[in-house]
Amino acid sequence: MTVPAKKPRPRRTFSAFGDVRRMPSEYEVMTHAQNWTTRSNRLAAFEQNPSSPANLWFLTYRENSPLQAEDWEQFRDPDSLTYRAYVSMQADAEAKTGGVLEEYAEAEADRALLPGQLALLRCLYTPSRYLVHGCQQIEAYVGYMAPTSYITNAAGFAAADFLRRVTLTAYRTRELQLAHPDSGIGESERRIWETDGSWQPARRAIEKALIAYDWGEAFTALNLVLAPTLDDVLIRQFREVSRDNGDQLSWLLASFLQADSDRRNRWSAALVSFCVEQQPGNEEALRRWIRRWTPIADEAAAGLGGLLQTRPERGHDASQVAAGARAAREAFHARVFEGLR
Amino acid sequence: MSLLRREEWQHFVRDVDWAFSYVDDEAVYPEWHSGTGKVPREAWLKWEEDYKVTYPEYVATQREKESAAYAVKAALQRSSSFDTLDEGWKSSTKMHFGGIALVEYAAMLGELKMARFGLNGAWRNMATFGQLDELRHSQITTFFGHEFVGKDPQYDWTQKTFHTNCWVPISLRNLFDGMMIAPNVVDLAIELPFTFETGFTNLQFVALSADALQSGDVNFANMISSIQTDEARHSQQGGPTLEILVEHDPVRAQWVIEKSFWGSARAFAALTGPAMDYYTPLEHRKQSYREFMEEWIIDQYIRTIQDYGLKKPWFWDEFMRGLDTWHHALHMGLWFWRPTIWWRPKAGVSKDEREWLREKYPNWEGVYGDKWDVIIDNINANNVEATLPETLPWLCNMCHLPACNPTQSRDGSWRVRDWSLKYDGKTHHFCTNACRQIWWKDRDNVNHETVIDRFLAGQIQPMDVSGILGYMGLTPDVMGDDPDYAAWTKDYVGRSATGLALAPAESEES
Repeated sequence: MTVPAKKPRPRRTFSAFGDVRRMPSEYEVMTHAQNWTTRSNRLAAFEQNPSSPANLWFLTYRENSPLQAEDWEQFRDPDSLTYRAYVSMQADAEAKTGGVLEEYAEAEADRALLPGQLALLRCLYTPSRYLVHGCQQIEAYVGYMAPTSYITNAAGFAAADFLRRVTLTAYRTRELQLAHPDSGIGESERRIWETDGSWQPARRAIEKALIAYDWGEAFTALNLVLAPTLDDVLIRQFREVSRDNGDQLSWLLASFLQADSDRRNRWSAALVSFCVEQQPGNEEALRRWIRRWTPIADEAAAGLGGLLQTRPERGHDASQVAAGARAAREAFHARVFEGLR
Repeated sequence: MSLLRREEWQHFVRDVDWAFSYVDDEAVYPEWHSGTGKVPREAWLKWEEDYKVTYPEYVATQREKESAAYAVKAALQRSSSFDTLDEGWKSSTKMHFGGIALVEYAAMLGELKMARFGLNGAWRNMATFGQLDELRHSQITTFFGHEFVGKDPQYDWTQKTFHTNCWVPISLRNLFDGMMIAPNVVDLAIELPFTFETGFTNLQFVALSADALQSGDVNFANMISSIQTDEARHSQQGGPTLEILVEHDPVRAQWVIEKSFWGSARAFAALTGPAMDYYTPLEHRKQSYREFMEEWIIDQYIRTIQDYGLKKPWFWDEFMRGLDTWHHALHMGLWFWRPTIWWRPKAGVSKDEREWLREKYPNWEGVYGDKWDVIIDNINANNVEATLPETLPWLCNMCHLPACNPTQSRDGSWRVRDWSLKYDGKTHHFCTNACRQIWWKDRDNVNHETVIDRFLAGQIQPMDVSGILGYMGLTPDVMGDDPDYAAWTKDYVGRSATGLALAPAESEES
């Protein structure tokens, strides 16, 4: 055999992009088809016995998921996020957070908290790190199982965002503990999370979602139902209640976190549109999962609503909290599914 | 007033485990994903990383590193440094881009798995940083490799390699699927961050960074040394996991270490060995592959595992003997089957280079010299054709690399041995005794087809070299060839030659 002569025309980009007229963006170059377990013409995800446990797991929960697409590599994150952009953006965001924390510490703002607001921080805010850590785990699972690196990367960043939120909550827990050593803050979080009636529907929701192993269901349960619902309670409504009760710091910090939730919502919405465009049958699969998780999320919101009503001096009505969370989720779903028609 | 010190509050970030009430613990942490095995569930409460980091620290540090790495790249992009690089060195970089970029991504998937199934909250948090680190490495490597696709189509394999059925990525997928993405997280933390990252990646990253600087490739050195600075952080997941496993199940710990050490050693003999001892220009070589292995693996790694109370692996003697043969044999295989790879392997056996090889490997001439002499003489007789492959090498059922390791007989002669095993009505063949034994212990996972099995089963059509190259995804513009035959054959022009292949017409008559 002979080695044939070299082809003359130089390439402009990776052949994986096909014969493209448009040069792929930096985001696309760095993100496209990075996960070899999703390569085309594969016998199984892993270069192993096709019936190894890992291959069977991926066969069941990824390849045979009700969510199907002709070509997952066509999905794009609307934020086109790369690692470099992510750390740069979040370093700025954290510098801002750090600055605000320093300013309020200087002013000894925690000492001036109203007793009811302090109770709200103790019962609702500081124990939320357990819930958010559960979200971090589920998002990591979505990333692990996703059928394209375009989804995995977005989920990987979202998992890191949850860690950011846990970290900030932990920092605040310590500050509040130092300012109010007898409040129980810093000691009672796990007990509240595990036993307080107001938290139990939320804990049930996250525990159940941890074992939703179909990757599409895990994505739907967390990114389309639980997170949009509970973020509305724990970020938006908590922020408003904090403002109404003179806790400017909580109000500011929660507003900083909103950017992460908004970004997650953007790519999650884009993924829904993409799925339904790829295969009309995906809409029913998504709606079926949404129906399954909606009552679970509503119960969780109602439970936490009780805390927003009863703890602070100027609380919000629990039923209003639950209704607000439901409305926020429904508005999100309307945007997500409306774009399809 | 400044912010609270990390030590004051980080325990709250780490303390995020709770007892489940609405689902079973076993459902959230299934055995084959989480892999607690004989280790009592509560033993994982003790898991603690040595190297602590917080989210704000992480993003601030990483932003600085990213700016620096990309600034160097931007500055060098305007220079013509790439065009002046030696072809051998370029081959090392092609091998690296193609062989590593998507492995970094596989490591990201492994970290995501630990971020979900790790048995302690602090471990899952470390893995959440770890997945970001690995994403960084896959993105920077892919992006740097992409820059050269216009100059040389072989760089297209930066992204393409692992999407093909070329024998090299099949072998590497087999290894990395088994140690990075698919295993339970306890094994994974020992295989990936511990064995692979604190042991073997030093070979590729530290050694290659030095060689890159010697070869004048500042851009490449910049990239890999920046990547290496992240390892110290996420590789910390291995130690605490190993410590707990050794305490409760030392036999399993020993097995996990041994399996991943052996697989890594085989892969690095194929990847790093030829780059260090053949592709890097002679004047730029700092250490031989063997010397580097001795310093970074044999001394450091073994000391490390002994610190954990583990023994030297049972295959130690076979491994040590292989340091003088494996990568030389694999180099010859890569060179001979050069149309099946995405770089231009240079043979690197001029008289001066052979002198260096003899000095570093006293047995080299006796084992490999005569084979290269036959190749050299055929090339000098203008018969390059005779040095190109007509069929496939036998591939090992465990490592999927060519079964080409010679060992010395009692009479002093060197022979390539076949280690075979009958199982389930089929005879499997292995390149080494350890590959055979590891396959036997792990047979439920690793029992699957090599390229040879696929070829013999008729899955590759047509059943000839063109069919094989098509199956492997090699296109004519990418197939490897020696970049400069004269460079290593001209020293031998005019000597009396033996072993010349006959021209096809004559061979039919004979």
